[in-house]
Amino acid sequence: MDKIARIDMGAPEGPKVTVGSLGEYAGLGGRAMTSLVVAAEVHPLAHALGAENKLVISPGMLSGTTGSMTGRLSVGCKSPLTGTIKESNAGGQAAQVLARLGYAAVILEGKPVGDDLYKIVIDKDGIQVIVDNSLKLMDNYPLVARLRQEYGDKVAYMTIGSAGERKLLAASIACTDPELRPTRHCGRGGVGAVMGAKRVKAIIINDAGTKMRPPKDPDAYRDANRKFVEGLRKHPVTGEGLPAYGTNVLTNVLNEAGGYPTNNFKTGQFSGSADLSGETQAALEIARGGSATHGCHRGCVIQCSGIYNDKDGNYVTKQPEYETVWSHGGHCGISNLDTVAKLDYMDDNIGVDTIEMGVTIGVAMEAGLAEFGDDAAAIRLLEEVEKGTPLGRVLGCGAAVTGKVFGVERVPVVKDQALPAYDPRAVQGIGVTYATTTQGADHTAGYAIATNILKVGGDVDPLKTEGQIELSRNLQIATAAIDSTGMCLFIAFAIMDQPETFQALLDMLGSFHGISMTGDDVVALGKKVLSAERDFNTRAGFTKHHDRLPRFFYNEPIAPHNQVFMMKDEELDDVFNW
Amino acid sequence: MTLETVALHLAAGQLNTFFPLLQQGVVVPATVGCSLKSLLCDQFAIPAEYVANRITTVFVDNRPVDDLDRTLVQDGSRVTLSGAMPGLVGATMRRGGFYAALRQGISHAADHIEGVGERGCIRVKLFNLLLGELGPLILAHGQILDQDELTALLRHFPGQYKKTSADTGRVLLTVSFME
Repeated sequence: MDKIARIDMGAPEGPKVTVGSLGEYAGLGGRAMTSLVVAAEVHPLAHALGAENKLVISPGMLSGTTGSMTGRLSVGCKSPLTGTIKESNAGGQAAQVLARLGYAAVILEGKPVGDDLYKIVIDKDGIQVIVDNSLKLMDNYPLVARLRQEYGDKVAYMTIGSAGERKLLAASIACTDPELRPTRHCGRGGVGAVMGAKRVKAIIINDAGTKMRPPKDPDAYRDANRKFVEGLRKHPVTGEGLPAYGTNVLTNVLNEAGGYPTNNFKTGQFSGSADLSGETQAALEIARGGSATHGCHRGCVIQCSGIYNDKDGNYVTKQPEYETVWSHGGHCGISNLDTVAKLDYMDDNIGVDTIEMGVTIGVAMEAGLAEFGDDAAAIRLLEEVEKGTPLGRVLGCGAAVTGKVFGVERVPVVKDQALPAYDPRAVQGIGVTYATTTQGADHTAGYAIATNILKVGGDVDPLKTEGQIELSRNLQIATAAIDSTGMCLFIAFAIMDQPETFQALLDMLGSFHGISMTGDDVVALGKKVLSAERDFNTRAGFTKHHDRLPRFFYNEPIAPHNQVFMMKDEELDDVFNW
Repeated sequence: MTLETVALHLAAGQLNTFFPLLQQGVVVPATVGCSLKSLLCDQFAIPAEYVANRITTVFVDNRPVDDLDRTLVQDGSRVTLSGAMPGLVGATMRRGGFYAALRQGISHAADHIEGVGERGCIRVKLFNLLLGELGPLILAHGQILDQDELTALLRHFPGQYKKTSADTGRVLLTVSFME
């Protein structure tokens, strides 16, 4: 990955492609690349849907290699949903293919004047930007099917559905999986709306004629990767739990802990949770001829995804993840997996974030647009988004906008981004991350549970109160670093518990780039990324007062533990003091 | 308390029929007033090594447990057993885990245990990998059902069971599986 492509969509003579060297961005990938470019090059007060914003697409530092789990793709910009800096990442094939073509980043800049819609074709011969107005308002599944007729099956597609074209704030960017289904989404923060604002409907990435990226020390890299894979396979989470049940294995546990937000965060337990659980879902998938074990990109050994079929054995959608099952399920009082699967398919097809959309429907239910537990109404509301009706445009702009339009007080957002599936009154520590992350409420912002082995910030006593602040800080640092490698965050379970697996990861990075890497280097990278993101947000007008949860979390105790969020403001303000 | 006993002897492949029931919890007779460790290792005869390494997430009455030796099991307690969970919150719920601080406020506080046991009932829930691994053991130990629950369950196994005593309001169902 030795070059960066910049595509000026607003150039006077039409879109203009410039390919240059890495310059100051040498050695970066994934979130490090997207955030440092946005922080340096985007005016923090720019309108997120305007010409000044940039959409940065970057594979991870190890993407495109023979290494396992290296297929995450980061997309960054100023978020139209939150107004903050944004990095959203996804699996699928795009990262591997783009990296093999040598691009450390593809940056969409500017904004065309007219209504023309474009597709971008990237292959070994270069980059073409082509007008294709026949694709207008197509949704992701039919869009990819159409593109496959022209570009075939040996490419990766990045696309936006109608939501992105309409610049809805919940719009995502879809990346195709190995079966060329548009199921893996850079979902959070409205990155699809930014791509839509630049009038780019699809990016077709063809790595024909390229080879795997060569490591500096092939033997050492191969050996490190072998040890890394062994570590993943022998760990009970990455080798057993996730392959068997996927992330939805969390439903039962969160419900048991009383931390499963139900009916728009009114209570912490849902009576229908067993019907939605990963255990139930996996059994159903297998019984219907689908699969409970499936990888989102080639080279994945965890295989946490699956295939969800209907009762007649026909494909409905990929295995909905825990957050999706929650947002469209318990959050809305819905306990039917078939309904959740249909909504998941619709989200992927329209191109919206499943967390934002599910939370929004729950807020709409709170507003009285439907009853909690009304499956048909939930589908009907999402159909409004699909059709682009005025109501659908409101809903498609997320929970915060919907709450304002309908006068709802209990709106679970931070920096206008919907909270994920863990109630911060039951799990106080995750509330610290929700409140303070640079990204708006985001469970994956502090997800890399490897801080103990990284020794980020020194040893922490996890049984002391102040540990929650330090743990959140350290988790956010570690996550920013792993998000930069292109590694799936789920590797964190194995590297947390198995020092030899963490060492194997360091050895992969070191042998590939011909450097010696230590845990300190990883920590330094994470801090560098977070500092740049915080600085951007500060210049965009965000202060410590934005690092707070909505007041209802402080005022409304949640059953069964009857707790409120108890972290003090001054403690939250201490998260980024390092 | 003497209950009518119903015994089922099933093919191993029929274990998963019980998974929905085990997820929602089965009521089992037990000596209560003891530690959770004692319940698992002494009464259920789960090997200590398995308890230490596989049952990594435990709840009693919705509260995540860190110390099995200092967690009291009482009549009516709800004991939930799970394998290792993914995600930050999964790691947070882990027994004695590095991230236990993140769930302060809901964790199970250490109990004082005097060691005087008496008979009672507890509800046991099994999740994820433990369904297949501990399900046979819990089902063999016996679960207490009312007649309606039993009737609904036995519809899955026509002609595969035998009653061993007279009808009463509740029954003790034991299930064994062929190798």
